[in-house]
Amino acid sequence: MASEDRDKSELSVSRRAFLKGGAIATGALSAALIPAVGEAQLPDAVEPDPRHSNVALNVNGVAYRKDIPNHTTLLQFLREDLKLTGTKMGCDRLQCGACTVILNGRNVYSCTTLAVEVTGGEVLTVEGLAADDKLHPIQQAFIEHSGFQCGFCTPGQMMSTKVFLDRTPNPTEDQARLALSGNMCRCAAYKKILESVMAASRLMRA
Amino acid sequence: MAQQNTIAGGPLNVVGKRGPNIDAVERVTGRAKYTGDIDLPGMLVARVLRSTRPHANITGIDTSKAEAVPGVRAVITYKDAPKVMIFGSRQYALNDRVRFQGEAVAALAAVDAETADKAMKLIAVQYEPLPFVLDPEEALKPGAPQLFQDGNLEGQPRTLTRGDVEQGLRESDKVIERVYHCPTMWSGGMEPRACVAQWDGDHLTLWASTQAPFRVHGSLTAMFNVPDANVRVISSYVGGGFGTKSAPHTDEALAAMLARKARLPVKLQYTREEEILDSNTRFETRIYVRVGVKNDMTLHAMDVKAYINQGAYHTRLGGLGTQSTHMYKSPNLRTVQYRVHTNVPNTGPTRGVGDPQETFAIESAMDEAAIEMGWDPMEFRLKNIKRNGDPIARGASGTEDGRLVAQVLDKCIQEGASRIQWNRRNAVAGSPTGPMARGIGIACTERGGGAGLAGASVKVNLDGSAHVFFASTDIGQGSRTTLAMIASEVLGIPLSMFRTTAGDTEVAPYDGGSYGNRTLQGTGRAVEVAARACLQQILAAAGPVLNNAAPADLEIRDSVIRVTADPSRQVKLAEVMQRRGRSVSGDGATAALQTGIDVERTSGAHFVEVEVDKETGKVHILKYISAHDVGRPINVTIVENQIEGGTIQGLALTQGEEMRFDERTGSCLTGSFVDLKPPTALDFDPRVIEAVIVPNEGTTGPFGGKGLGENPCHPGMAAVANAIYNAIGVRLREVPFTRAKILRALNEPRPGASRTV
Repeated sequence: MASEDRDKSELSVSRRAFLKGGAIATGALSAALIPAVGEAQLPDAVEPDPRHSNVALNVNGVAYRKDIPNHTTLLQFLREDLKLTGTKMGCDRLQCGACTVILNGRNVYSCTTLAVEVTGGEVLTVEGLAADDKLHPIQQAFIEHSGFQCGFCTPGQMMSTKVFLDRTPNPTEDQARLALSGNMCRCAAYKKILESVMAASRLMRA
Repeated sequence: MAQQNTIAGGPLNVVGKRGPNIDAVERVTGRAKYTGDIDLPGMLVARVLRSTRPHANITGIDTSKAEAVPGVRAVITYKDAPKVMIFGSRQYALNDRVRFQGEAVAALAAVDAETADKAMKLIAVQYEPLPFVLDPEEALKPGAPQLFQDGNLEGQPRTLTRGDVEQGLRESDKVIERVYHCPTMWSGGMEPRACVAQWDGDHLTLWASTQAPFRVHGSLTAMFNVPDANVRVISSYVGGGFGTKSAPHTDEALAAMLARKARLPVKLQYTREEEILDSNTRFETRIYVRVGVKNDMTLHAMDVKAYINQGAYHTRLGGLGTQSTHMYKSPNLRTVQYRVHTNVPNTGPTRGVGDPQETFAIESAMDEAAIEMGWDPMEFRLKNIKRNGDPIARGASGTEDGRLVAQVLDKCIQEGASRIQWNRRNAVAGSPTGPMARGIGIACTERGGGAGLAGASVKVNLDGSAHVFFASTDIGQGSRTTLAMIASEVLGIPLSMFRTTAGDTEVAPYDGGSYGNRTLQGTGRAVEVAARACLQQILAAAGPVLNNAAPADLEIRDSVIRVTADPSRQVKLAEVMQRRGRSVSGDGATAALQTGIDVERTSGAHFVEVEVDKETGKVHILKYISAHDVGRPINVTIVENQIEGGTIQGLALTQGEEMRFDERTGSCLTGSFVDLKPPTALDFDPRVIEAVIVPNEGTTGPFGGKGLGENPCHPGMAAVANAIYNAIGVRLREVPFTRAKILRALNEPRPGASRTV
């Protein structure tokens, strides 16, 4: 599509053109859905739009660059633009922690982090936790100790666990409870989660 | 059936062990696809416009401006909605009258979220407001606003009587009369409701975050008037349900209607606020209890009158459980349940139908009666619980023409009492002096399991690997794992060779779904039957390889078939399968698990020690023993996880999760986790919770297993209320037990502290 010529991202679908606003740009996205309609009407060049930004993020070791609307959250960028759906939306209000990812070594709620404000950053999601085909010790521990039930909060729980154990290799159980208190588990598998975190710390020290 | 509990009488190899879930890798790597993760080419984003009024007629609705927004592909209102109600409900997917604030008024689908949000604001709705009512007792008074032409009462009051309760109360040496209240409470899961609908001609595929794919399937085939074969419902990974996803809901119908109109796939994902407002949450109950006792410590009469606030629409889903009817011997009993429609959102059965609310009332009242009489509350329960051989109703109600079997509630009580050290409790309630007071409480519970139609199928492939297909769901209770373990045990094929397909109505036989303690006991029994059907075919095929040995003379273990009497004569399963040249399939179904007069129930006893800070009202849980009958545990790790998590969910009801409504506007005031305060890892120390599996073996479930999921959530409110009373002499009859309520009660003048023994 012509409107995507300037979009040097690794992604095939751009929301930028559509979200510029206006009927012509909307036609561009329609064209993506229903091929060959409206394409010829698109202008070859588009003025820079202050409502969009070019964002560069390293996610799980892969560099991405993309024009996105300024209001795109990191969670939306991961799930919708990069199709990394392991990170979950539980509340969209920084109240539950299902969307937790690691940004520059810190665990953050991606639902209330704008992608533009963290451009240049390094992001680790659950998809990047395992190295090649080898599970991370945290994943091994959560499997071995059944640190989940429905699993919806689990990616967030594990990302908070990683930041915690990277900083606190030999933790107490109370420290672990505090460190994971920003990650709600509605199944309330808290006992098995705590056991998993402590087991992970042993595996990581070994 | 006892001979079926082991393979040819030998030891169990898989069942009864600890072990990780077979889908654990998918869940810890982010590969597990939940409904919201599904992405189809050309998929549209749906949004729902919701009523701002709790009760109103819609006199006008103008969607023209929304339809004109470029990128909007479908807009629907009540004019588009089939006049077929959602299964189990009086609700149409869209209607020209709304009965709660937050009810769907219109829906649209657009190429992306921004377009959908923009267009939503352009739909103009004219409401003619109607008077509304929020309280179930108010709704039954003359002159109350009427939700339906036939009034606000759903059906006849559900009534169960035995003996003569008024006579029994007159004959009693002591009668206590109390009222217990539980508000409407949020009970959703981490994953907000989500569905994806895709039509191919007149064939609909609907991915939904539901506990009961075949219920949704039935609702949609009726709504769109298509054959069963034309609708496929898939619910693979579900981010928690707890009952809120056990009934068909409007979202599935709206997504399907939009997808049909737009001729493109549609995803409808609720925001958290929508999930809180428009799911089937825990219903409000106000329960009036009269308990009559005789001086010899027998329960002589129990009279229970319950007002159940069903909310706007549901018809079949409200109602108490069986705590007042099935747990204690009472020669005189009456329960009357008024299921009332009001202008609060839809409610439904959540983790224990209405059992936690009912347990709170019954187990508080039992405690109060014992204390009034100076009896040990535990001894009073032991004296009056139903034991094996006692008469019991065969269904949820009806006459007591059955006989209780495989019950170990007495052992649950004794085991729990021993572990909490029951004799440490205060002999005089409220006697501890100083700002921190400790106390111990007890509450019991029971329930049935495995009810309704269940089905499953098992397939053994040419290489000896195997597959279990079932249309109930794995909502976190671990059924993929436990059902595969059952098939693994029967077939002698290692668990690592199994895969499962959960929650798919097109590939698996009919099954009611995952709710009401039914998956393990019901679907699990069907899996056992299906696996045995496979086993017969495998052994028959192996005979010719093993000198024409009869199937009865063969056994299979670790995928090797041997002649039982001469194990050196053996052949690998894979070899037999390849010689056979066709995969082996078996179907299993169970209808009524219980036949004859035997009645099997699942019971439990909880004991809690609390410490109450009399200056702040804060309640600390110091120790919590959850002793449960689970029959034979299929996977011990999963059973513990269920008990521990369910216990915390029960405790959660003591501290928060109350949904509040503005009496002036009918609006929900608690639309976020900040308002509802579901527990985090800091609210209750999980280390103080001890899950106790009381040894037992059931008579109907696979390998003697029983349904468990609901029970651990039942006793928390009553156990904590009873422990708080023991600590500070204050009786709490309204949940949640907020600090403000405790401080207010502590500051109220009250007659001298009651005595307990």
